Amino acid sequence: MLSRSAQGLYWMGRYLERAERLCRLLRLQVETLVDRPIREIYSGWSRIYASLNREPPVGGLELGANDDFTLADSYTLADDLTFERTNPDSVWSSFAKGRENARQTRHCISSEMWTCLNLAYLRVQELSIGDIWRVSPERFYAEIVRDLDTFAGVAEATMYRGEGWNFLQLGRHIERVQLSVALLLAQIATDRSQDEAYGADWTSLLHLHQAFDAYGRSYSIEVQPDRVLDLLVGDPLLPGSLCRSLDSVASELAAIPPGPASDAEAALQRLASRLCSLVRNDWPDTEDRQELLEQVGEQSRNLHRGVSAAYVDYDTADTS
Amino acid sequence: MDFADYELNDEVYDEMFLPDGTPRGHCLSLHETLQQLSVDELRGIQERVTRSFSNEGVTFTVYGDEEADERILPIDCLPRVLPGGEWLQLENGLTQRLGALNRFLDDVYGEARILSDGVIPRDLVHGCPQYREEMRGVSVPHGSWISICGTDLVRTGQGFQVLEDNLRVPSGVSYMIANRKAVKSSLRRLYRRYRVREVEHYGRLLLETLRELAPAGNADPCIALLTPGVYNSAFYEHIFLAREIGAELVEGRDLRVEDGFVYMRTTSGLKRVDVIYRRVDDDFLDPTVFRSDSLLGVPGLMRAHRLGNVALANAPGTGVADDKSVYAYVPDMIRYYLGEEPILANVETFLCRRPEDLEYTLDNLENLVVKRVGESGGYGMLVGPHSTPAEREQNARQVRADPAGFVSQPVLALSRSPCLIENRAEPRHVDLRPFALHGRRTRIVPGAFCRVALRRGSLVVNSSQGGGGKDVWVLEN
Repeated sequence: MLSRSAQGLYWMGRYLERAERLCRLLRLQVETLVDRPIREIYSGWSRIYASLNREPPVGGLELGANDDFTLADSYTLADDLTFERTNPDSVWSSFAKGRENARQTRHCISSEMWTCLNLAYLRVQELSIGDIWRVSPERFYAEIVRDLDTFAGVAEATMYRGEGWNFLQLGRHIERVQLSVALLLAQIATDRSQDEAYGADWTSLLHLHQAFDAYGRSYSIEVQPDRVLDLLVGDPLLPGSLCRSLDSVASELAAIPPGPASDAEAALQRLASRLCSLVRNDWPDTEDRQELLEQVGEQSRNLHRGVSAAYVDYDTADTS
Repeated sequence: MDFADYELNDEVYDEMFLPDGTPRGHCLSLHETLQQLSVDELRGIQERVTRSFSNEGVTFTVYGDEEADERILPIDCLPRVLPGGEWLQLENGLTQRLGALNRFLDDVYGEARILSDGVIPRDLVHGCPQYREEMRGVSVPHGSWISICGTDLVRTGQGFQVLEDNLRVPSGVSYMIANRKAVKSSLRRLYRRYRVREVEHYGRLLLETLRELAPAGNADPCIALLTPGVYNSAFYEHIFLAREIGAELVEGRDLRVEDGFVYMRTTSGLKRVDVIYRRVDDDFLDPTVFRSDSLLGVPGLMRAHRLGNVALANAPGTGVADDKSVYAYVPDMIRYYLGEEPILANVETFLCRRPEDLEYTLDNLENLVVKRVGESGGYGMLVGPHSTPAEREQNARQVRADPAGFVSQPVLALSRSPCLIENRAEPRHVDLRPFALHGRRTRIVPGAFCRVALRRGSLVVNSSQGGGGKDVWVLEN
């Protein structure tokens, strides 16, 4: 497959995963606006911005503010994270870039996938923060998540399982790994800054990963940060756990036919295996979990660079 | 919907109605169906057609001051119907014309007999900006210089005439297919009753044509479609066609030339490319030969082409045959190469390079359409009757300064076809762009992209200037 098309599919996977994850986060966050204490609302916004490695816009986030100010600030922050065109991390930006990658590679995806994604994009494009805030912002975010879930299902059902599929999935899983690591580290940092771990924050992480029921079955209804981490990082049965995402990265890499840059390709596969092993084997016994997560985060960025080196930006000498 | 207020004009051919207001024979069913539909029902059909374009992302790109804008081509849901016999005449005329044009290109880049014999002035051909000296002595498979052609036809009181031969990178075929898909599903029973000929196999015919161009008779060549990129206004069509023919959609940066062969960068390494359906203009194809500032092209591509290692469709240099001045000589080409009379007429054309034509043009600006020979897409055009004195004066200055750069033609009373405008049927001027393919032989799908000047009274059908489209139903004999 054309390297640029593979790259386009890879980025489509990444951007759509990014848009979906942020929508899930925002859905949880706007739900807290209904009845949760200001500390939790503040903490939620902080966590989102920290996970994006981004400063909130001027005027947002004051822990000492009253209800009215908190709600007004939340409106500003939600707009920044949802519709702001100049924010490269906003839902709109990620969605638009994912859809643009799909537009440029629509000869490589099924027509059903394109139509599904394009329809979802057109719906988002017509809205503004004022539209969604008036009625039910959580419903808006839930609908986008549902659209993107539908897209994933349509892709699953209709896309040919060739290299295009592998690169799409690769992008999705690498993005998921990076987002999960960033979010978990942001939560750990928040706990440290507050000198206290709040169950509500960790519970919302479980909801974000659709892991609340699984947690209850594996442990109990009492939410403990270490147990949440065990589940979200090391449980191979939980869809979206770090462990499972990394396994998926390794299996997608293994499925891609041999590329021209054999050294770069071998290094990439070794890195993926090492990361899987780190999370599967080292995680349960590690004492400094934050450090291990940082290591996974750093190495996942190398994964990204490795994909490019092996299949896109390889040296063409002697490959013809 | 009734046609009680539908305006007919004795001087303009109406595609649906005879001058006395009765529907033409082949439009009876369409007329009857439209009369049975309420305005609401028709509006619903129109909305469905428009929505299907929007949902499918069938767009073209327009550039504003700051950002590119993806737009939906306005499609009128009322089809234009062409009887089989009429189509047959068009098909024969297009085949004849394409044959002569290919012979002309083979000749002017070869022995140039037509120039030696004085049929066409040598300086006109060699002075044409699209004449490519670099193609002298190059032979192309099956003499197929023009493999994809999108001829603009208009109908006037004198029948069909060729307005322009688009022989470089003609676009619009994707709209022909998208129109059909959208309109067919909205007027299902009528479509079935009419026995309309299919157009959806265009991709197969294109693929067959491109395969026939492969070097050394390679039966399974690697084909790529070369696009200028996502910012090109026809990008949708590029991706649509790449999908239709199962080709990779490449940009110049994906290709490289080594040892006279063209390769594309794939995830498995460099892969040789045998045939390139290029949607990039000549000027930008190869910076080492044409424009050196081109970022869209591939250094060395022309060398690979001249060596016969890669086929380019269309071949570089075809623009000389659709130059607006050379156009005037196409009937002579047909007689010269084929010994036949043209089946399709040309529009009378005045070449301002001739002193008598220049004088006539300047004296009659208010009645003529003046075109720059090097422009397309309706740009640089003066439509005399719709122009202001100041515009005519400015145009006259330009023509006097560079007479060879202009031609003029009479303002044509383009035929009109009913369109659904604000919930009622109104006549709008239309043209017809059928697509012909040529490899070993000529292939033409029985259909066309019908462009519509949606603004009342306008004759400009270009999508970039307020034009829209219509489905064309070519009927079985």
